[in-house]
Amino acid sequence: MKTVSSTDTIKNLPFPIAKVDRKFNMIETSGVWDMIFINQEKNTSETEQEFAFPINSLKELNKDCLEKKQNGEKVIPVVCEKGNFLWYRWQIMPYYDEDGDAEGSYILREEVTERIKKEQLLSKAQKVSRVGGWEVDLIHNTIYWTQTTKEIHEVSKDYVPTLEEGINFYKEGEDRERITELVSRAISDGTPWDTELRIITAKGNERWVHAKGEVELLNDKPVRITGTFRDIDQKKKADLEYKKVSERLSIATEASQIGIWDLNLRDNSLEWDQNMYRLYGIREKDFSGVYDAWESAVHPDDREKAQYELQEAIKGHKDFNTEFRIVYPSGEVRYIRAFGVIRRDSEGNAFNVIGTNWDITELKKTQLKLDYSKESFERAFEHAATGMALVSLEGNWIKFNQNLCEISGYSEEELMKMNYLDLTHPEDRSRDLLLRSELLEGKRNSYQTKKRYYHKRGHIVHLIVSITGVKNIDGELSHVISQIMDISKLVKAEEHLKSLVEITQDQNASLLNFAHIVSHNLRSHASNMTMLTDFLLKENDPSELQNIGKMLKDASESLNETVAHLNEVVQVKVGGVQKVRSVNLLKKINRVKKNINALLLEKNAECQIDIPEDLRVKAIPAYLESIFLNLFTNSLKYESPERHPIIKIKVKQNESGSCTIEFADNGLGIDLERHKDKIFGMYKTFHHHKDAKGIGLFITKNQIEAMDGKISVSSKVDKGTTFSLLLKTV
Amino acid sequence: MVVGKVKNICIIDDDPIFIYGTKRLIMDANFKGDITVFQNGEEGLSGLLQIHREGKPMPPIIFLDLNMPVMNGWEFLEAIHQQAEFNSLNFQIFILSSSIDPKDTERANSYKMVKDFISKPISPDTLHDILYN
Repeated sequence: MKTVSSTDTIKNLPFPIAKVDRKFNMIETSGVWDMIFINQEKNTSETEQEFAFPINSLKELNKDCLEKKQNGEKVIPVVCEKGNFLWYRWQIMPYYDEDGDAEGSYILREEVTERIKKEQLLSKAQKVSRVGGWEVDLIHNTIYWTQTTKEIHEVSKDYVPTLEEGINFYKEGEDRERITELVSRAISDGTPWDTELRIITAKGNERWVHAKGEVELLNDKPVRITGTFRDIDQKKKADLEYKKVSERLSIATEASQIGIWDLNLRDNSLEWDQNMYRLYGIREKDFSGVYDAWESAVHPDDREKAQYELQEAIKGHKDFNTEFRIVYPSGEVRYIRAFGVIRRDSEGNAFNVIGTNWDITELKKTQLKLDYSKESFERAFEHAATGMALVSLEGNWIKFNQNLCEISGYSEEELMKMNYLDLTHPEDRSRDLLLRSELLEGKRNSYQTKKRYYHKRGHIVHLIVSITGVKNIDGELSHVISQIMDISKLVKAEEHLKSLVEITQDQNASLLNFAHIVSHNLRSHASNMTMLTDFLLKENDPSELQNIGKMLKDASESLNETVAHLNEVVQVKVGGVQKVRSVNLLKKINRVKKNINALLLEKNAECQIDIPEDLRVKAIPAYLESIFLNLFTNSLKYESPERHPIIKIKVKQNESGSCTIEFADNGLGIDLERHKDKIFGMYKTFHHHKDAKGIGLFITKNQIEAMDGKISVSSKVDKGTTFSLLLKTV
Repeated sequence: MVVGKVKNICIIDDDPIFIYGTKRLIMDANFKGDITVFQNGEEGLSGLLQIHREGKPMPPIIFLDLNMPVMNGWEFLEAIHQQAEFNSLNFQIFILSSSIDPKDTERANSYKMVKDFISKPISPDTLHDILYN
């Protein structure tokens, strides 16, 4: 215990010190003290002053020291203006009178901030990193554990371990065996240890610890072992988990044959995993470096491209995702897909690329096959002899070929703006829609139907359309393939055939009719002759004989005439279309008119002919002449007794290469209500006229028809008759 | 000498030779009554109507040709059929035609006043049967 003489002056001491009496009144202070406390008093507030000079705490400490007659100290923090803590150690040292009673104390302040902070940091660090300490005194065979060590072992604060107990905390088995071995060796030869082992805590938890130990030797004899004890459970478990995951990844990549590569851009070094070598069919030891290996394996034609793409990716222009070919040492070519992730520092500079490679040869082959079949389909589609189209479920074109353009007459652009219903003939739409809806509902997979389109030029195109549904990978209908075959020519041929059949039927009917007429007319004359011959044989009266003879002559003449008529009809019937040629209509009519000029004059008939001079019709000249001759003579034969005959002939040209000739008179007319059906019939007469034979119009009709024309009639009794002749023009 | 009930025969035909021959055959069959001739259906129809309206006895036998101008035999049949005044009268029509078409025979027989269809020429025996049976 040191005392300071009262006579000594403290004024000049170079640290803050003060002398107080028993009542804590200041007796004397050092200059430094004054500088800190007296001067500061003016500027600082009460509270801060309290902190600066913790008078109450010191009074209490002083009182304690005076009573106990011993030195005391206390570390008190002060908050300074900047908010930092400053740590001061206050020391109180009582001074005594001769009787040994304390008269007062010296108060000394010392700044310990730095030291306190270090202590705090250390303790905090130990706590945070869960580092505990321990010590084994081999002389006394005692063991000491720090607080943290106890916490790690999950024992109470006042637990006092023995060396054996300490060892037994290690997990039974390899961990405990290991520590026992390490400790034994350390004791025997002083080898320190540093290991990671598992302990079972007092509460039964398993925990990974990092244990270090060091032996202290005295005269080559171990006296003490000290060490640290750190809780690494979380880190260790994370490490183990990481190890497990990387193992799993490595198994996965190996199994899936994905190679992993790692390019360090700072030193341009490339690393490959084993899979990469396997993938490339080469051995690591055959190459001086990884890059060398890659360069030798990659197909020469693809090397530059792959390198370029990697540079582009590093520059940040695009991802590294490319394909290239490699050549096995055996010469086999394989396709590799390469993928890389560029890693960049905070300034965006690439420093590392980690990527994968995998073999896509099979995929590529399949792709090529698919491309090929797609291409073949497209070629077939485009060059098909039929129209082909892919049509969406909504009925819009997805695609169609040139042939469809040809069938419909529309250009590709025009057709694209339409849909198939726009082309379809209105009468065919509902059936088309019905079949289509059945396809969409899955009631049928395909259908074939006959339908009609309107060609751009307005005519009808006959088609056979085959529709097949196409399903996507989920089995749902995605679109339909439509095959469109133009059968217009076929339909036309069929129609032609049908018309031929009709003609044949007509001809058969008219032949039958003709046969009846022939039999009827020939028989009527023949029967008359038979009858007259009978009379002739029995008759004796000369005048009656003469009469019968005259009738017999008439009958035979009639028979002759009938045969002549029939012959004429047969001639017309067999008259071929091949004899048809171009005939000037007006010239022909004028010629007929000239031939019957005498008759026209006799009847005082007037002709009004209005026909273009250059109009030419397709006709058999002799027939045309015969027709007009018949029409003229009919008009004159059946003239009205009340007026002079007027014959008007005019022509109307039709669109479809034909013309209609109207031949009108102002004669007796025909009661068409009664005679409509038989006006062109054979041996049909409608007037009491001596020359009415009922053969003219029959032949006229046959002649017109032989020239592929038509004849019709309109008439009013006592007004006149108009014949309309339809003939083809040239 | 057989004397029939028939006093009046009508022939509707446009063929003068046939008319001559038929008249002669009728007379050869000792028919003593009247023979009325019409040139075609129209004349026949108006003539018969006139006879009926004047209250004269209608010819019970009519020989009708089919193929005639203006109004043929078929039209005549149809007109007779339509004429209500003739419905109550009792006369028989014999079709005399050169036609041997079965369709014509069938068509003719569909009219109830048509007694028979005879193909020309008519034989004396047939005529005799008609006149006296």
